[in-house]
Amino acid sequence: MIDVVDVHKTYKSGTREVHALRGVTCHIQKGRRAFIVGPSGSGKSTLLYMLGVVDHPTSGRILVEGRDLTAMSEAERNDYRRDRVGFIFQSFNLIGNLSAIENVLVPFLPRGVTPERRDRAKELLIRVGLGDRLDHRPYQLSGGEQQRVAIARALVKDPDLLLADEPTGELDSKAGDEIHHLLRELQETSEATLVVVTHDRRFITPQDLVLEIQDGLLAGDDDAEPAGGLRSAADAAS
Amino acid sequence: MGVFAWRNLLTRPMRTLLALIGLSIPILGVLGLFSLSDGLRNMVGDTLSQIEGVMVMSENSPSPVASSMTTDVVAKIRAIPGVRAAAPEVWRLAPDVEGRGLTSRLIGGVMTKSWNSMLDQPVVTGQDIAAHAKLRSAVYPRSLKTKGEGRFLNEGDVGKPNVVISRKLAKQFGAGPGEPKKVGDRLRISDVDCTIVGLYDTGSMLLDGVIVMDIGMARKLLGMAPETVSAVYVEADTPPGYEAIREAIEKAEPTVTARSMNEVQSSFNVMMSEVDKVLMLVVSLALAVGVVGIVNTMLMSTTERFVEFGVLRTLGWSQADVLRLVTTESACLGLLAGVVGCLLAWAGATVANQFLGGGIRLGVTPGSMALGLGLSVATGVLGGFYPAWKAARMAPMEAIRLGSR
Repeated sequence: MIDVVDVHKTYKSGTREVHALRGVTCHIQKGRRAFIVGPSGSGKSTLLYMLGVVDHPTSGRILVEGRDLTAMSEAERNDYRRDRVGFIFQSFNLIGNLSAIENVLVPFLPRGVTPERRDRAKELLIRVGLGDRLDHRPYQLSGGEQQRVAIARALVKDPDLLLADEPTGELDSKAGDEIHHLLRELQETSEATLVVVTHDRRFITPQDLVLEIQDGLLAGDDDAEPAGGLRSAADAAS
Repeated sequence: MGVFAWRNLLTRPMRTLLALIGLSIPILGVLGLFSLSDGLRNMVGDTLSQIEGVMVMSENSPSPVASSMTTDVVAKIRAIPGVRAAAPEVWRLAPDVEGRGLTSRLIGGVMTKSWNSMLDQPVVTGQDIAAHAKLRSAVYPRSLKTKGEGRFLNEGDVGKPNVVISRKLAKQFGAGPGEPKKVGDRLRISDVDCTIVGLYDTGSMLLDGVIVMDIGMARKLLGMAPETVSAVYVEADTPPGYEAIREAIEKAEPTVTARSMNEVQSSFNVMMSEVDKVLMLVVSLALAVGVVGIVNTMLMSTTERFVEFGVLRTLGWSQADVLRLVTTESACLGLLAGVVGCLLAWAGATVANQFLGGGIRLGVTPGSMALGLGLSVATGVLGGFYPAWKAARMAPMEAIRLGSR
């Protein structure tokens, strides 16, 4: 379970102070699919990266399974990212001079790649349809294939939390559909909690949770009572 | 991670090549300078190992060529207990040989860029032939016997313009390339036609520049007074040995300096250790330039890869992991530069040895190669550390944002 409690994020852009998040409170149950939607610059990605302890709130708390992410030390944050979180980026962000399977194994490189992990990486690449491209470099793969490698990389550590930042943002609609279906399918089998930042509401089903952010606030919130903003897709549509 | 680091270097081959050249040249310089220093050390060591006795000269003379004493010192030295033999000698820079003097050699050397001919100043030594015949460790007769030809000076040469010269001088004053002076040929020294009776070859550039003749003839040729000697070569009985004899000579005759070859060797070592300090300074400067090159390369490399580092951090890499990756890359670069520098130094020494003579052998030993590799890797790590630290300390989000711009 993820609890986001009154999270603010302020940063400086030149001399200007930007309020990326202005008191976001929400709650995501374990194993659910949540979509963070909203216009560009509304704070969607900022919230996503905070869930993965890549970014820190200026104030507020984020609890995952009762553990306060904002109180973690640097080492604990590293461990959390390494062991519990899988990231998928809009630009895939594969390492250009590593093969597909080596890219999947990147999280383990500093501590060594065991044969079991290599087998697991291979199995995942086969599952995402790249069994015949294990040794291909990123430049030899299409955008959709690169994102599949990135998905396998996110899943190779069997994370509790799968975070995707606009995973179809750089893909055509066909490849985008395939990636969303793949993500959905893999999330269901892995039982990880999936949080996706997207502009594209086509992929949201009535069972999914929607966190709609505008100007750093969840839709439905007001300044007087920041009461959560968690809605189902059915509510969001009404 | 090593393979990953290695591939990162290969991703930007031109930059890696330039950094590699930038560091391998100082490493080549380090090995070259130390090999030259070792070569000099070995040459002097080899030369001194051929001489066993004590050389007595006038007080504080740096060399027999600059020394001047009277013959009565010889009798005083012979009277010291433990002195087995004392052989007087005169030494001076040679006057014009075959019409060529120091000035013409210098000018000729500059014109022909032949540095050897500029440095090869022959020296004349006149030996008391009877006294030298009693020596057991005389260098020139021994080297003539083993590697030379003709004969050494004997009693019949007293007062005659007969000389023994080295093969090197025979070549230097020959009629032309491939036509060296031979035994029986004439050698004109100043205005005296001398006859070459023997050729010696010690293999040392410090000894092979000497023209040996009778002491009386040398005095006449060099314009020295009959009672003058430059040096006395002394051999000692086994006990008390050379150190004791050296001390005894200086005690008995305070106006002279007696030098055993051990002492000369240690003085030379002291001088070479000072030279080594200067070399270390030069080497440090060269390596500092190498470090700057590595810093520049790695800074460019890391600045271009902020997104990559941000992504790696997001995937669970710690700051230490990123630090390790970048320093491994720069260490690999250092190692590669070290290997190239060592190979170049080895090849350079091999080629140089084909042209160097006079007992100097440049050697790139396994020890100096290990030093070169160690320095190179250390330089790489040192040069990579700041860029690595810069890359590692950046927050993942900041790195991704900065790199995406």
